[in-house]
Amino acid sequence: MRSLSFVRLLAKELRELFASRAFWLLLLFVGILVGHGFMTAVGLYAEMSGSGGGPAALPQGLNSLDGVLVPTWGAYDLAATLLFPFVAIRVISSEKESGALKLLLQLPGTLISKVSAKALVLLFAWIVSWVPGIAAIVLWRSYGGHVYAPETLNLLLGHLLRGLLSGGLAVAAAALAESAASAAIITLAFTVGTWALDFVAAGRGGFVQQLASYTPTAALRSFEQGLLRWNALVVFVLLSCAAFGVAVIWLNTGHTIRARVLRTLLLLVFTIGAVWIGAGLRASRDVSENRRNSFPAADEAALRAVNQPLKITIFLSPEDPRLTDFEQNVLRKLRRSVSKLEVDYAATSSTGLFESTEEHYGEIWYELGGQKVVDRSTIEEVVLEQIYKLASVNAPERSSDDGFPGYPLAAQPKHAAAIFYILWPMVVIVTWWLARKF
Amino acid sequence: MLWDVSFGVGTGEVLGLIGPNGAGKTTVLECVAGLLPSDSGRILYRDRPLSSNRRKEALFYLPDGILPWAQQTVRWVLTFFEKLYARTPETLSALTGPLRLEEVSRSRVATLSKGERKRVLLALGLLTPHPLLLLDEPFDGLDLRQTRDVMSLLRRESETGRTLFVSIHQLVDAEKVCDRLVLLNAGERVAEGTLAELRAQANLQNGGLEEIFLALT
Repeated sequence: MRSLSFVRLLAKELRELFASRAFWLLLLFVGILVGHGFMTAVGLYAEMSGSGGGPAALPQGLNSLDGVLVPTWGAYDLAATLLFPFVAIRVISSEKESGALKLLLQLPGTLISKVSAKALVLLFAWIVSWVPGIAAIVLWRSYGGHVYAPETLNLLLGHLLRGLLSGGLAVAAAALAESAASAAIITLAFTVGTWALDFVAAGRGGFVQQLASYTPTAALRSFEQGLLRWNALVVFVLLSCAAFGVAVIWLNTGHTIRARVLRTLLLLVFTIGAVWIGAGLRASRDVSENRRNSFPAADEAALRAVNQPLKITIFLSPEDPRLTDFEQNVLRKLRRSVSKLEVDYAATSSTGLFESTEEHYGEIWYELGGQKVVDRSTIEEVVLEQIYKLASVNAPERSSDDGFPGYPLAAQPKHAAAIFYILWPMVVIVTWWLARKF
Repeated sequence: MLWDVSFGVGTGEVLGLIGPNGAGKTTVLECVAGLLPSDSGRILYRDRPLSSNRRKEALFYLPDGILPWAQQTVRWVLTFFEKLYARTPETLSALTGPLRLEEVSRSRVATLSKGERKRVLLALGLLTPHPLLLLDEPFDGLDLRQTRDVMSLLRRESETGRTLFVSIHQLVDAEKVCDRLVLLNAGERVAEGTLAELRAQANLQNGGLEEIFLALT
């Protein structure tokens, strides 16, 4: 009986989703955004592959994930920020504003099951909106483009979690706010806040940078780079569940505000604890075909043999491009390979035009086993050499061939404009019209 | 705000809650239904306390002035309740006739007039199987004929043993449909009883509910 009630609630939520203009507008606009991203990416990829007769980029530098899939699916990051929250807000606000919530609260089933039905339908809506993105991958394959399944599925997982979190936050905001408009303001304010945190924390190190690595955009970035970080996955899921939990607490109008605030605080304390534990998971898997997140296998084996704590002190300001290089090419890989790594961002100055830099600026100190080496290079091979020297480990033999051939392809985005700008909008509008009939 | 409001209702009885605008009628109903919190107080159901999270097992509250699932058709909304509460199609058709809902069954809830909307809401309330049904202003928006039809329907419902607790601001209607009445004014219970008992409390030999109400408030 209970499961039957849940199925009926699920069916109701599905009907309500199909009756929502926000959902159909999401489908309509996401197709256009994906189409624009896809055609631009395919064109640029073709140019880099030498389609215009100019010099082609090194083949090793050309891969579908960076060149086509990430820019195409970037449309979903935009949709998760600016379109999908409105679908999620409507799921709650329409019932709050119409008074249907008073009936819903009395229907069979717990409030948790009712919010779960809404969450499942939102997840369904998010996955349905992927049809243009999947169509883009199919088109790319039809042009002869290469698609590496593990990194592609990892990218989709990132977008799935991004959508889940975005939906959860919007649902929580709708449960807290009196109106849909207030809920939209809360959701957008949260998003802008995470952008600000992401920007401010870059290269600062410490707790702020760690916190910023779990903002939706930053966490998605690791999936876009072919890295499956278990801590990002766990934190995404925990935060999403907590957001839906907040909705459950605040939709229960039978409890006093004081009781609801107390329950919310309890949930927050539990979530912070769980997130703290989840964030400590260091395991990650490099699913990229070109192993961009890993050192060569021989170096990884040599680094695993380093058991003493390695401390790296960096005298580079957050604005310095050398720090970005160092982060992207070295630190990201070292964090995955060295079990006891401490990174200290020691620079206190910025690189303003008329500013004299502080003493040691530009230096990178490596400390291991009571020994210290100072260097200025941000090149992977040089850094590894310094670490091996400190650890008294023989540098492994490096192969000149990293095994990744690269996939240049000078293809034109044939039929893409017709599919994304004409066919898809027509399909959405006709389905919208048919859905209104039933 | 409500102070010290207490009353009882028996099985199969139609209890009316009357009072001027702002007296707290809807607040009482929503507190009883567990949709609004109360600082203190308790509900006894068959002499046992009924916690707020178990209220929906015993009672169903039908609010006034709501527009549930506005983009759906009347037929779908009614069928949703029928299936959710495992009611038979006969139960539903026994309601759609007297409430004249067949003619609007294909219309969307958002497009209904105030009276049509009220009739749909009443059908939803009467489709629920709970022993106690709370109705907020069940005649609001209905014309004279419809009001009479709904009164008959409610009386028939109470004859099956179902208890109805009805908030009404039209005293003439309350007088016709209720077995007993609770008078509420400025959040306080002023009086409770049958029409004759209330007349005695108001020291009136004759007179309808309007005179009683004016005398007691």
